[in-house]
Amino acid sequence: MAKHKDLSIEFCGVKCENPFFLSSSPVGSNYDMCKKALESGWGGIYYKTVGYWIPQECSPRFDATRKEGTAFVGFKNMEMISDKPTEKNLEMMAKLKRDFPNKVLVASIMGENEEEWVKLAKAVTETGADIIECNFSCPQMTSHAMGSDVGTSPELVEKYSAAVRSGTHLPVIAKMTPNITTMEIAARAAIKGGATGISAINTIKSITEVDFDHFTCLPIVNGKSSISGYSGKAVKPIALRFIAQMAKDPQLKGIPLSGIGGIETWADALEFLLVGATNVQVTTSIMQYGYRVVEDMISGLSYWMEEKSIDRLSDIVGAALPNIVPAENIDRDFKVYPKYDHNKCVGCGRCYISCYDGGHQAIKWDSENRRPNVDEEKCVGCGLCWVVCPIEKCVTPDKTEFHSFGTPREINVIAKKL
Amino acid sequence: MMCKDYLEETKRAYSPLNAIEEASRCLLCHDAPCSKACPAGTNPERFIRSIRFRNVSGAVETIREGNILGACCARVCPYDKLCEEACSRTGIDRPIDIGGLQRYAMDFEKSFCKKTLESPETKLQKVAVIGSGPAGLAAAAVLSLKGYKATIFEGKEKAGGWLTYGIVPSRLPQEIVDYEVDYIKSLGVEFKMNTRIGTDLTIDQLKEDGYEAICVTVGLQSPVVLSIPGVELSGVTTAVDFLSAAKPTQGAIEIPNDVIIIGGGDVAMDCATTAKLLGAKKVTIIYRRTVEEMPATKAELEHVNGLGICVLPSFKPVEILGENGKVKAIKAVGLDWLDRNTFAEVPESNIQLKAELVIQAIGQKAEEISYTGLEVNGKGLAVSDQENGKTNIEYVFAAGDIVNGGKTVVEAVARGKAAANSIHEYLSHKKNCSHIAEEAAVQKEGER
Ligand SMILES: Cc1cc2nc3c(=O)[nH]c(=O)nc-3n(C[C@H](O)[C@H](O)[C@H](O)COP(=O)(O)OP(=O)(O)OC[C@H]3O[C@@H](n4cnc5c(N)ncnc54)[C@H](O)[C@@H]3O)c2cc1C
Ligand SMILES: Cc1cc2nc3c(=O)[nH]c(=O)nc-3n(C[C@H](O)[C@H](O)[C@H](O)COP(=O)(O)O)c2cc1C
Ligand code: SF4
Ligand code: SF4
Ligand code: SF4
Repeated sequence: MAKHKDLSIEFCGVKCENPFFLSSSPVGSNYDMCKKALESGWGGIYYKTVGYWIPQECSPRFDATRKEGTAFVGFKNMEMISDKPTEKNLEMMAKLKRDFPNKVLVASIMGENEEEWVKLAKAVTETGADIIECNFSCPQMTSHAMGSDVGTSPELVEKYSAAVRSGTHLPVIAKMTPNITTMEIAARAAIKGGATGISAINTIKSITEVDFDHFTCLPIVNGKSSISGYSGKAVKPIALRFIAQMAKDPQLKGIPLSGIGGIETWADALEFLLVGATNVQVTTSIMQYGYRVVEDMISGLSYWMEEKSIDRLSDIVGAALPNIVPAENIDRDFKVYPKYDHNKCVGCGRCYISCYDGGHQAIKWDSENRRPNVDEEKCVGCGLCWVVCPIEKCVTPDKTEFHSFGTPREINVIAKKL
Repeated sequence: MMCKDYLEETKRAYSPLNAIEEASRCLLCHDAPCSKACPAGTNPERFIRSIRFRNVSGAVETIREGNILGACCARVCPYDKLCEEACSRTGIDRPIDIGGLQRYAMDFEKSFCKKTLESPETKLQKVAVIGSGPAGLAAAAVLSLKGYKATIFEGKEKAGGWLTYGIVPSRLPQEIVDYEVDYIKSLGVEFKMNTRIGTDLTIDQLKEDGYEAICVTVGLQSPVVLSIPGVELSGVTTAVDFLSAAKPTQGAIEIPNDVIIIGGGDVAMDCATTAKLLGAKKVTIIYRRTVEEMPATKAELEHVNGLGICVLPSFKPVEILGENGKVKAIKAVGLDWLDRNTFAEVPESNIQLKAELVIQAIGQKAEEISYTGLEVNGKGLAVSDQENGKTNIEYVFAAGDIVNGGKTVVEAVARGKAAANSIHEYLSHKKNCSHIAEEAAVQKEGER
């Protein structure tokens, strides 16, 4: 009865039913889980990273930063790669591909040396997987020849990408660590070594909270804890930045990108597409809410496309990139004053406090009526009051004033997304 | 001013951010109890999740697929006895405001014209639905969505049944009822107004006109009246007569100063608030049973208290006094309830109250429905299987108040849907049979 859009999109030359994939993590670590996920509507799976090195995991191994309600703002984990026997994983992957030929299976692998990378590439190619992802980015491996210590070294990234390339005919994706300053360097190295595409980000090294009785961070494992990977909603802005930067890098032009980090809704996923990703991956929101989150991703994105009359998802990939420019290219010859809608205003005074203590003392507070009024002499148009106001559309942009050196023209500003 | 309060919705609507905030209180339960408790299958777990994950259009789709009167139900359902009573969040603090979120999604649909349902182009057999109350509307909408040509015959001028002629605008503005009726029209349902079956048209005529199935959703239209002296006096009326005079005229009716309401359900509360908001000075509710037994929802009772309306529980009216044929006062006696079914009168607490208008809100009963040919029980209700609406006549189905004796809007929607599904089963079976018969005939022809 209800209409649904065609969300199919090509990634690394592979046709995907939709761009929504499980990222490599516990959410895709055995046959039954993957089966349930695919049946829920996910377009494909990055299977939990396999290697010949089998980790010994700790318990407990998670922590969450929280805010209001029950949602996690961010999520910390101390897990490593799959702790199942390699053979068993290969078997399950082969079965998945057999049972779900139209879904996309990506084999995530991690070796300890060149020889292992080649051997793993060959082994997973034989399972019938569509793509291989090289995990150069797990930040909490107990073996330092593996994980993000590799991803921070362009030489190792190139060497191991080349090793994987030599072991397979499949597209190869390098999964990047955000624990560096410039991701483009490592990404270029991966492509030079023979990788087809780039995925980012893996988790960010973190301490989520420190316990006041045991004087260590969480989770506490018999009195001790470690710095380890942070994911979830809180990392999305950082992940978007890395994807946008790679998408804009001339040397990486045309390289397929897969966006990961903090995706919970169709809107989060769309943001990654708009900054240049053709594929997105999800873990934390699935760990929190289950595979069913994909239902609203599919439905929500369909409704958005319908509203905007977009027929093919690929048409909007990277659409935001031309408008994301260096700071020096931003117009700086005007300021926009805020307007306070005294009917919508509830008189909380938050704008007044913020403007005084964190801004320019440019709000005159009418204490009798409990309403703000702007003092144009002092207002610099920073927009802090729009951002702090708890009422929708109560503070809005008003008139524009051009500086003496400015050119009067039509101006469009937005400080808050609704 | 008073009239404005009467016409204006009492409960405030959510803004988008507030709705997401409320939705994020939802525990997103597995096997969610709220969804199981909704008779109509509106699936609150699913639509709240969509709101939470910023897919309000998806929420609209879920609600509409389950409940074609989602916007009315969002306002009039006794949630505290249905979905919200079942809500797991109650174990932490208070239930999710499911009705409020449902209303938010429905308002979103209305403001942004987000219509998510469409009927198929092809039209199958013709089905007649008698009565345009919630049960009839739901049945016709489901039939139309399945491709049938559904026509509603309604005796009154406006569609909606008690949604239009009963429930007060401060809880359910007429605009919302009209909006949902228009939605159902846009699905291809045809409305024949001012057409009473049994008088203007008979069931046989409908059959001759090619209607292959008939759904009886005529509700309960006769008010129950007390059998005490004085009920015939002028100024003594019934809830439905009172409310159905007030609503279509936007509250432009004469209200005296002293008004007495008899009854303890939502209808009694509606009469009380209507009388008060339209200008009565003193409104008093007399109810036979105890406060705990009152069927009115908590919210309604609170609203009544907030308006300064006096509630007298455990009092039984015994006589209405008049002067020159006009009501003047009412006499009642206090009751002492021993258990749910036994009481003793307490003569010491006899009271007499001034009354210029007495409204009896003690329920509705079925009108005579012999024109349908349906079997009826002792209360005049249609005998029908609640689960599927089947009756003693193969092609006649029944649903809503006329079967269950008067429950809720959402229950009527649920039963209307169920009846539509059995009509679908019946008609597709019938079509298959005739196909087979045709094929057999063709085959025979060929053999010859
Ligand atoms: C004042 C009042 C307030 C209420 N408040 C609430 C509330 O807050 N929440 C809630 O959930 N429920 C409430 N209810 C109950 C609820 O309205 C009913 O349960 C519901 O409307 C039943 O739906 P229905 O379709 O079975 O019947 P109805 O709503 O009674 O509709 C039947 C329709 O059939 C028409 N009809 C009857 N005979 C014929 C005929 N022979 N030919 C053509 N048309 C015919 C009638 O004119 C009417 O339009 C209230 C009821 C009343 C009276
Ligand atoms: C518990 C846990 C285990 C993970 N294991 C792996 C892994 O084996 N291989 C890998 O490439 N990434 C792993 N990741 C990283 C995720 O795939 C993903 O890159 C990251 O969590 C960011 O996405 P998110 O915000 O949607 O969770 C893991 C993440 C979590 C939370
Ligand atoms: S409240 Fe109970 S059911 Fe819910 S998550 Fe906790 S333990 Fe499980
Ligand atoms: S239709 Fe009524 S009972 Fe059902 S979920 Fe909505 S408010 Fe609750
Ligand atoms: S029962 Fe309550 S908390 Fe659970 S899904 Fe339903 S509304 Fe949410």
